[in-house]
Formats: sequence, C-alpha cells, structure tokens
Amino acid sequence: MTRLLITRTLGIVGTLLVLSVVIFAATELLPGDAVSRVAGPQADPVQRALVAERLGLDRPAIERYVDWVGSAFGGDLGTSLTGRRPVAEIVGDRLGNSLLLAAAVYLPLIPLAVLLGTAAGLGSVGGRRGRLIDRVISFGTLAVLGVPEFLIAGLLLAVFAVWLHLFPPVSMASIGGSVLDTPEILVLPALSLLIVSLGAVIRLVRARAADVATSPYVESARLAGVRGPALVLRHVMPAVLGPAVQLIAVGFGTVVGGAVVVETLFDYPGIGNELQNAVASRDVPVVQGIALTLGAVTLIAVLAGDLVGRALDGVRR
Amino acid sequence: MDGTSRRTFLRGGVALAVATPLIGACGQSAGQGAGGTLRAALVGSGAAETLNPFAGATTLDFVRALAVHGTLGRVDPTAEDGVRYDVLSAIESAPDNSGYTLRVRPDRRFTDGSKLTARDVLYSLNFITANAQTAYSRYATDLDLAKARIIDDLTLVLPAKRRVSDVRLMLCQPYVLIFKDGTREFTPATPSCGPFRVDTFEAGRGTVLRRNDSYPGTVHLDAIELRSIAAEDARANALRGGQVDYAHDLAPAQARTVQGDGRFDVQQSAPPDVTGLGVLLNMSRPPFHDPRVRLACKLAINRQAILDTALLGRGVLGNDLFAPGYPDSATTVPQREHDPERARLLLREAGATGVTVTLTTAPETPGLVPMCTQIAAQLSEVGLKVTLDERPPGGLYADYAAYGRFQMAATYSTPIPPLHYYETVGAAGNTFALGWSRPDVDQRVAAARELSGPARKQASEAVHRTLWEDNNVLLPVFKPVLNGHVRGLRGVRGGRLPSFAEASLR
Repeated sequence: MTRLLITRTLGIVGTLLVLSVVIFAATELLPGDAVSRVAGPQADPVQRALVAERLGLDRPAIERYVDWVGSAFGGDLGTSLTGRRPVAEIVGDRLGNSLLLAAAVYLPLIPLAVLLGTAAGLGSVGGRRGRLIDRVISFGTLAVLGVPEFLIAGLLLAVFAVWLHLFPPVSMASIGGSVLDTPEILVLPALSLLIVSLGAVIRLVRARAADVATSPYVESARLAGVRGPALVLRHVMPAVLGPAVQLIAVGFGTVVGGAVVVETLFDYPGIGNELQNAVASRDVPVVQGIALTLGAVTLIAVLAGDLVGRALDGVRR
Repeated sequence: MDGTSRRTFLRGGVALAVATPLIGACGQSAGQGAGGTLRAALVGSGAAETLNPFAGATTLDFVRALAVHGTLGRVDPTAEDGVRYDVLSAIESAPDNSGYTLRVRPDRRFTDGSKLTARDVLYSLNFITANAQTAYSRYATDLDLAKARIIDDLTLVLPAKRRVSDVRLMLCQPYVLIFKDGTREFTPATPSCGPFRVDTFEAGRGTVLRRNDSYPGTVHLDAIELRSIAAEDARANALRGGQVDYAHDLAPAQARTVQGDGRFDVQQSAPPDVTGLGVLLNMSRPPFHDPRVRLACKLAINRQAILDTALLGRGVLGNDLFAPGYPDSATTVPQREHDPERARLLLREAGATGVTVTLTTAPETPGLVPMCTQIAAQLSEVGLKVTLDERPPGGLYADYAAYGRFQMAATYSTPIPPLHYYETVGAAGNTFALGWSRPDVDQRVAAARELSGPARKQASEAVHRTLWEDNNVLLPVFKPVLNGHVRGLRGVRGGRLPSFAEASLR
C-alpha cells in the first residue's frame, strides 16, 4: 500500500506538471492581454510598457512559465490582476465552499446511487417485478440525464424559492461568516447538483451490479442457498462498492470544479463561480491558479477513490 | 444506532426541516427598522475584490467608495454651477481659465478625528493619476498638478495646462475620491470622510458599512450591507425573495416583473445618467469608408422599434450623438428620421447592396445584444447582410487592439460631458474611433472647450451637427439604469452609481 501511495503521488505530481503546461499555454492563447486589462483602454504605449514591466510580461513566455510553475508548486499562485490579492487566498476562500457543496451533494448521493443502482442492476437480471423496477429507475435516470443542468436548477429555483418561498433564491452567505451559518443557502444548489449527478452514477452502479449478479461467484453463492438480503449484502454489494467508489470519486472532482452553471445561477460563493468571474474579467493569474487547483483536487479525489476501492475489494476477498 | 439516538436524529431532522424556512424568513425581515439597515445588491468582482476602488473598478467598488469616501462633488445639471459640491464649498475659475481655486469645507473630518484639508485633496488627485487607469484620471488631463499650490488649510489652486472652461464638470466626477494624505492601503481601518465607514469587509461576498457619526450631513440609515451579486437574474431574485432591499441595474424584462409586484418600485435614471447603446462602423474598412453607406445605415435604423423591443420602452431615443443631458449636449440637431427607402437607394448607389458585414457584440451591459440583433435585422432589410458575431461576457473589449479592427462593433458609453468624451474616446487615432480621423473636428472640439457661455454653446452645437452628419456612430437608444427597491426606500440619489447618504427605510 505504501509503495502504491508513493507511486501514485509521484504520478499526480507528473500529471500536474503536464497540466500546468496546458493551462499556461491555454491562458496565453486567451483573447485579450493582461496589460490592457490593467492599464485600461486609453493607456498610451509608455504606460502600457510600464504596466508590462511591473507585471513581468515583458519577459519571454518560457521564463514566465518556469517562474509561475516553480512558485505554484511552492504554494504561491501569483497575484490577481483585478484586486491585486494573492491568488492562493482567493482559491482558499472559495475552494472550501465548493468542497462543502460537494459534500452536501455526495452525502445523500452515495447511499441513493448504491441503493437504486443495485436494485436496478439486480432487477435487470431478475424476474418480471425486478425488470419493472429496473425499467422505472432506468427511465428516471435517462430522463434526468436528458435535462440540461441550468433547466433543473432553474426549475428548482422557480418552485422552491420564487413560488413556495421555502429556500432563498440566492446563496448569500453572511458577511464575515461561514456558509454553514446559513445552511439553507446550500439546499437548492446541492439539490440541483444531486439530481444532475444521480442519473449518471446510478447507471454506472446498475451496470456493475448487473455484471456481478450474473457472475459465477454470486451464482455459486445462490446455489449454496444464499438468497434475498443476505445475498445482496454479503456477496453483491461488496463487489459493487469498490468500483462504484472509484467512479464516484471521479465525479466528486467534477462536482467541485464543474458546478459553474449551478454556482453562477444561485450566486453560490464557490470556486466555479469564481472561475467564471476570473475568465470574464481576464484575470489570468486567477484562472491559472484555479485551474491548477481543480486539477489537483480531481487527481487527489481519484487517488482517494482508488485507495478506498482497493480497501473495499480487500475486505470482499 | 440505538433507539435514543435515532429519536434524537429524527427530532433534529424535523427541527431542521421546520427551522430552515424560518431561518430564511428571518433573513427576509432583517433591516427594516427606524434608520435601519439597507441591503443592496450590485455587480462586484468576486473574491479578487479589495477596498481599493481603482483595483477592481466595478459598480460595487465605486458605490462603496462613494459611501465611504468624500468626493469633490457630483454633476447635477439643476445645480447653480452644474455640480453639487461635497468636500468643497466652491471651485472658482480664474477669469482667463488659467487656473482653479478649490475651497475646502471647514466642517469635514476623517473617521480618525483629523480635519480634511487642501493637502488631502491634492494628495488624492495625485494618488488617482498615479494609481488608477487612464480612464479615471482623465479629469487631470487639462490640469498641471505638479504646479498645484496649497494656499492654506482650506484653499488649493490648480493651474491649467489648457485654458478650458469645463474643468469643474471633470473634477466633480464620482471617481475623483478624497482620501487622507498618505493613504496607501485600503482596509476597514483606513480613515475616510464619507457618510459611512467600513465595518466588515469580505471579498466577493459583501461589505457592512455603519453610519459615520462625524459626517456633517444628516444620514438616516444605521448601516448598509452591500452585496456582490454578478448575475442580473440573481440580483432580481434576491430582491423578490426578500434577501435584499435594493437591486442595482436590472434588465428591462426583470424591471417589468419587479414593477408588477406590489412590494417593489423601479427607479429609472434620467440623462445624463444614462448609457448609450450603439454600433460603430469601421471607416477604415469597406463598405463603411463610403459616407453613403454610413448615412444609409443611420437612415435604416428604426430607433423607436429598438427602444420598444430591446429596452421594452424604458429608455431615451438616441440621435447618433453621445452624452445627452449635459450643458454641452446637442439640443438643436434634428432627430434622425427613419427612411428605409432612401437607405436602399444610397446602398445601391454605393454598390453595397448585398454586401455581407460582421457586427461583433457581447452582453457587456443589459440590452446591448438585443439592440445589435435589431440593428442587424433592420440593416438586412435594406440590403446590407449583417452577420452577428456574439462573444461571451467580457469578450467585446477583451482585446483592445482587435476591437479597433472590427468591421462593426457594439459599443456603450458612460456619462461623460460630450466634448470631453469626444477628446478621450472619439478623436482621431483612438482605437475606439474605428477609423474616424477628422483633425478639423478635433480642433473645433478643442476650441469649443476653451469657450464659455453662449459662444461655447454655439460652437458645441456646430460640432455636434458635423458629427451627426459625418460620424461613424449608430446610437439609437440610451438605456437608463433600472434599480429595483422595496417600497419603503426613499432618498437614493443617482442611478448608475447610487448614493445612499440621504436614503431612509420606512
């Protein structure tokens, strides 16, 4: 396990280095330049040159990349062009909120997905009643997968905030406080992401459960007289959980960084919303810092999923 | 889980389910009292935000700065000098416009108890020119700040570089903020002299301002909570959901919805506090190098239809000239007629019928893209095929050099006196002039700025007439700022950058 951990950690560092090249190159290619952003549209060539020198943009791209990546791996992600705040502070402020939102999504998602996915998977290879359960769940997941994220979020907002006034329409956290001071602001963004994510995860678990249910291993348990909940809990579930956790871990990284639409719609103070702000204002250091951090979060989530999956697999064996 | 803990868990769940809407309801009722706390939502700049207004330069940055810091004054066409003074009692011009004397009010103090003096004013003027983008230091273009003289604590003399007569209007812009001499960092503890002081600040989330008890004027509100909400839908939802009392800059459709709800009113700003929505025709590229094509475009535009559709009737008709509502704004130039038949003829004469052109736009301000869509459709009707190139928000001005090369480019203007606007944005050689190069007009504008009284008005009208006939601007409408607010809110001044100094909540 220790060797695996070391190998995978080195792999993460290598992947992040490759990712850093891609991020730096992509942000270099973004339309617009930082000098215009800082100096303003009416700056003359002398003023522009001074700003370029102050920002270090008068140096070759490779030199700037080496500086940036060296500092980034040391925890210094640079300084925002917009507010001249350290990017690491900005990322720190917002990443915690996004992790909290992802946790609020995954807390109900994991048991729901495992329960419904396993029921559908077992049902698909079972009798008439089982196939009916599978069809209902599969139809439901397909229907959800077909609806765009912004529509689901918009519908929830219209019904639960604007019409029923049950939850706030905008995720306004208290000033100077934590998102947890006003937990109700998490409900609608989390519910939107839960619905969006649930369909895909259920289908993945279902496919795995259907495979396991027809495996010789489960078949022999069945022939040995193990039936009903005992068969599911002792033989099917452990085989489903390992791969399911790995798949869920990949999705976790996506939810942390990919919730741009939902975070923007509810104005949730997360990292996706901040990324959108930074792109709109051409704040290149913030875009680079957030992109690199999200890459790291996803890779760490995948590693954690692999480790948990292996642990569960070990328990099963 | 044993029976006790399960019961505890279930009770907790029920309590949470019941409490959640109540918590929301508590949030909704906050801030309604005598004096009270006003909760306002405006566009901010996310977690990169700081208390330095010139670093982010968003609406929220300037509204907060106007609440916390003093200004020299604000443009008010109804006032005697065309301005309402704030930390000053007067700006006196030398008879030959060779300099200006700024008289500081004796009763202004900073939050640390020190008196506001001429030294602070001069420090602030120099700070802005050294630290802000050129757009915010344009007030100093015609002043020689290096030769400024502090006569005494309350008197400052600013010599002129050019003997123009409208420096008063430029000095009383909202971004000419007054800081204490030596201010370099902006924190909640930084001394300030506005009606409010910073109590709590969290980047990207909001700021709590408390009444500044040393402010000489009457301030009704106990506190203001300024919230940063970037999306206009979210601002409108926050108002309707009771999370804020004031939502700045709503789109016309949202304003209509908000107005239809008996709990709210919509405040609409008037000229000069309006934003011009227009399209620039690049004169350095065909077909717009031909004056007949430019005139055809101007005649093809149905301005009333654009006003009714893009702004749902809420706005002011444009006449292809920037900045209405100022003393120098055109008043005798006739309103351009809508004459599609003549437009077709002109295009045919110029050989431009059927020519395809690209109009680049982006949702930089509400109404801009719908206006461009309408213009594209109307020009296509008379024979110019217009393809719309819609960029994401921020995409229009992302690359200033590229902007100058667009064939047709959307534009929007902020309220700046028109002759000054021309000199800083529209004169020959400027990227934003899109090929407009008329040194004769540049000289006439410069000459008009040196005049005063009826001679200035006459010269200004003549320049505007030339611009109206020859320029490369389609400016069909001016968009007011539409701010939604609860019915009990009174006394908010200004629309684009509102001031809450005299506001009260009932």
